[in-house]
Amino acid sequence: MSVLAVAGVTKRFGPNAVLKNVSLALGAGEVRAICGENGAGKSTLVKIMTGLYAPDEGAVSVDGKALTIESPQHAQQLGIALVAQELSLPPALSVLDNIWLGNREVPLFHRRAALRRRARATLDKLGLADLALDTPVSALSIGRRQLVEIARMLTREARVFILDEPTATLSDVEIERIFAALRTLKAEGKSVIYITHRLGEVFDICDTVSVLRNGELIGTRPTSEIDRGTLMQMMLGRSMSEMYPRWEDKSDGAMLRVKRLRVPPLVHDFDLVAARGTVTCLAGQIGSGAITVLRALAGLIAGATGEVSVQGTPMRLRSVTKAQAVNVQFISEDRAGEGLFLRLNAGQNLIATKLREHCRFGILLRGKLRSVAAGLAAAVGVDRTRLRSPADELSGGNQQKLAFGRWIGSDRPGVLLMNEPTRGVDVGARAEIYRLIRQFCDQGYCIVMASSDIEEVLGMADVVVSMYRGRQVARYRRGEVDMQRLLADITHPVAAA
Amino acid sequence: MSELAAPRRRVRRLFGARQLGLIIRIVAGAAIAVFALSTPGFLTPLSVNALLTAISFVGCVAVGMTFITLTGNIMSLALGATVSASALIFLASLSLGVAPAFLIAALFGTVITAAQGFLVGYFRANPILVSIAALSLLLGAAAFATGGHRIYPGGAGIEFFKGRMGAVPVNAMFFFATVIVGQFVISWTRMGRLMTMVGSNARAAIAAGIDITATVTVAYAMAGACAAIGGVLLAARYGSGDMELGAGYDYSAIAAVLVGGTGISGGSGSAWRTLIGVIVIAVIEVVLLLRGFSEQLQYLITGLIVLSVIMLHTLGERRQG
Amino acid sequence: MKQSALLLLAPAVRPFTIMIGTIVALGLIDRGSGYFFSVGTIFSVMQLFATLGLVALGLGLSMLVREFDLSVAGMMSLGGCIAVLTGGTSPWLGACLGVGAGVISGLLQGLIMTRLGLSSVGVTLGGLLTLQGLTYVLTGNQTISYPNMAVALGLNAPIAHLLSVRSAAALAVFAVATLVMTFTHVGRDIIATGSDRRASRIAGLNTDRIMIGVFAASGAASALAGVLLSYSLGAASPAGLSDVLAPAAAAAIVGGVSVVGGRGNAPGIAAGVLTLCILRSGLSAIGVPPFVHDLVTGGILLVIAVLDAPDLARHITAWRFARAERRAHTYSRESRDAAAT
Repeated sequence: MSVLAVAGVTKRFGPNAVLKNVSLALGAGEVRAICGENGAGKSTLVKIMTGLYAPDEGAVSVDGKALTIESPQHAQQLGIALVAQELSLPPALSVLDNIWLGNREVPLFHRRAALRRRARATLDKLGLADLALDTPVSALSIGRRQLVEIARMLTREARVFILDEPTATLSDVEIERIFAALRTLKAEGKSVIYITHRLGEVFDICDTVSVLRNGELIGTRPTSEIDRGTLMQMMLGRSMSEMYPRWEDKSDGAMLRVKRLRVPPLVHDFDLVAARGTVTCLAGQIGSGAITVLRALAGLIAGATGEVSVQGTPMRLRSVTKAQAVNVQFISEDRAGEGLFLRLNAGQNLIATKLREHCRFGILLRGKLRSVAAGLAAAVGVDRTRLRSPADELSGGNQQKLAFGRWIGSDRPGVLLMNEPTRGVDVGARAEIYRLIRQFCDQGYCIVMASSDIEEVLGMADVVVSMYRGRQVARYRRGEVDMQRLLADITHPVAAA
Repeated sequence: MSELAAPRRRVRRLFGARQLGLIIRIVAGAAIAVFALSTPGFLTPLSVNALLTAISFVGCVAVGMTFITLTGNIMSLALGATVSASALIFLASLSLGVAPAFLIAALFGTVITAAQGFLVGYFRANPILVSIAALSLLLGAAAFATGGHRIYPGGAGIEFFKGRMGAVPVNAMFFFATVIVGQFVISWTRMGRLMTMVGSNARAAIAAGIDITATVTVAYAMAGACAAIGGVLLAARYGSGDMELGAGYDYSAIAAVLVGGTGISGGSGSAWRTLIGVIVIAVIEVVLLLRGFSEQLQYLITGLIVLSVIMLHTLGERRQG
Repeated sequence: MKQSALLLLAPAVRPFTIMIGTIVALGLIDRGSGYFFSVGTIFSVMQLFATLGLVALGLGLSMLVREFDLSVAGMMSLGGCIAVLTGGTSPWLGACLGVGAGVISGLLQGLIMTRLGLSSVGVTLGGLLTLQGLTYVLTGNQTISYPNMAVALGLNAPIAHLLSVRSAAALAVFAVATLVMTFTHVGRDIIATGSDRRASRIAGLNTDRIMIGVFAASGAASALAGVLLSYSLGAASPAGLSDVLAPAAAAAIVGGVSVVGGRGNAPGIAAGVLTLCILRSGLSAIGVPPFVHDLVTGGILLVIAVLDAPDLARHITAWRFARAERRAHTYSRESRDAAAT
């Protein structure tokens, strides 16, 4: 009998079906990996298992009994503990308080000594012996926060432990400690669900692996019976060439030069040269500094220093207006939080940056703006009928296209910086976005892209710059690097020979 | 992240939330209209006049408050005091003539509130806190300047505001003009569009290169101007004033703004909606009065209706938080 | 030296620094003429504290979870009126009913907010108007006098010259709040909810229950303030939208509560309230005209608003960078000129 199972689970967000009829069952003492590319539905499935979402169809069962998991508290009661992909540590609390936050077994009048001892023991096990229990979480790096989050999970009396991409920001040593902790759990008869992109880990620690693709379960196999190639085939399901547009060399002279870019403590002495008509990808995981580099170039970071020039003209950092003045445009990785105006409609979002050009004496030329919006929508492939819909009603793919559409249509193609351009976008829309990126390239834009999705980097980039912990590891031209090498670069680079 | 939906919120999704909200609003509006028109004495010139005059004062302040709410800064607790202070300045400057006095009062309201807007925009200081600070400073400064005495007109000219143009009281004309100008700014000017965008998502506005400081400062300046106009109208109505004149107007104004349907979290709103909100509240009050409800019941029922309407509005909107 | 100065300004310690600073400043202005440092002043400070403190505590709790309870003034009026109306023969009964009304109002508002996903401003605004209306209806729009004179006098009778039963009760409430927040996980759960509600929910907190609880507590505290005040005045009146909201918010903020949630505690709020009450009583004891109180309060709040503003640090950093860049430019220009000659 399975400890935790889902049967026929379907989940929709608006018009998108994120999970379609997914069924799987987890046994006691089993370490199951769940793999799939971005947008396959892994995080959603796990959120259903932990009471954060309710399935639209299908059921979750614990110990063979079907029931509805109503809330994270209920999930805790049932013995399910989660380390979510987005950190869930309220920054105002200390490490100690965060570890015990929401733990049902903490009595009202807690005896702090006992709690401190147990928290200390768990932290030591994870290699954080030097971390004081009373440190406010806001003072910790992302990697350490991740470990605190895992410590919280380990202090829960649970039977099923779910980890969603837990190692993205961790070093090898730290990862090995987590594996040791997971092996102990397994020996105690507990079950683990482990979601990861990193195929090496699947074979290191997991007994079985389930693959999701586009919201559907492709299959579940013991790790002893398959190899990496088969796993990747299951995950991708198609050849890379169908996804990524054909490439032609349109490179046309250096456009962006960056020297000694520094954003303490995240980026150290970063240099970059990017040519017009090319796509340069900064490949790196969370914490590698790739996203920070682009945000600094966009003028959004107050503490950035360095020398930047665009087509020979020097550009000042730390100011969005100065960046836009030399035609450096930015598409944020945080679409909802920083990219779009969700309550405005699609058309208004598209023309958000074009108001000055189409107004007279401060009064908007609304008719003109409407036709401009229609033109931009057509250029990026957003249906005209959706122009009047509020932006938050559009799918992730359409929303990303809006973000793109904002920056095209100016007569002087400039530098286009984009962070994680296909985050939260389903597979179908992603191909369209890749096509758009190529289109911009052909029009003469210089595209610099930061991505943690290796496959996307390899498919799109003319130049790949791999990054680790704020520094460049290596620079490759198209065709000079493969997935293995790139993955190694961004997860545990060997010092260059 | 914004899709973190507890099972109970599924109810809203099932019914096409936006359509449901619109239907409820139309039904509620129709109910109020029927209730009003069927009240004996409602359509008499006397009662309509009283209605128009009543809404003019609160209405001006409410239009001003709309600008502040639109930019995502929730509300200002200093607008009432700004109304009073502008009224006092108007009365005191009447010796220079009606038009100059009006302009001086308007300028005062604009500058005082724009300064608050600058702090909120440039430092992203908390708007409620800044407005409380401004409230204290205004009260203290006024007490110092007036020595606690009532201020009487320093010259002639108030009668203009008490008169009528044709069938419509001058008060109401000023109010409607304020609404029209306010609405024009919000929908037809670039600055107004910027205000809506800043209110919808300040971070996205920064990333898009919008100057938040300037936008918020202008929004607050508009609010101050509207409050000052309300102050002038009030001063003319009562013929004299002290700092109690505008007391409580902040609450009435924000109630009207919310009842009208402007979202409290910013990014959606208009002067039309505030006009509707002001009218709805005033109509309810007048109808209750005409139907013989005691003053106490009037307060209670108005309060309940405001609460219900605010709840109704958000049934059609998602919560931002 | 600089380290300890910064420590004094740290948000946890700041309320007490401000309070002591205010006492010292007033003492200096008074210059030993004995008006400020007198038993009478302390007594009147504590009397003010009895009312403002409880309301500030309630409002402060709602601010801790990143909301804002606009209805505290209404709950104060309603609590007072109910107590006076029902507590003639049995003051305890009246008090319980009054506080109970506050709890129920808070519960209802909290329920509406969490079930419908509404923000607190709209709901508590409607709540304020409704409570105010209820008060008018219950009192028939008149001032109701409280027959039990013994209670009225007893509440205000000085204990050890400094406190009264009223202010002692308020202090007791603060003590209980401090104990609860420190020794149980309730305090930490509230801070967690205010700091990051989504994360707290994922971690397993029942944030809805916490919100409802906070608003119920706010209602109870404000209602209690109204009950005590009305009893001691011997009357309850449906006062207009009384201006207790602004001073209470000011007191909470001076007391270290952050308006965006996640920071603050009961002792800090007490210090903030005391600061404002000391200012009010102290200034009038010294004979300074009352408008000075408003100006000083406004000034302190303005300074705190800017100090706590999120972008202050960013602007200072940017300004420092710009200055460094300009210096580097001049330096390189000078060295180029020097090299040229």
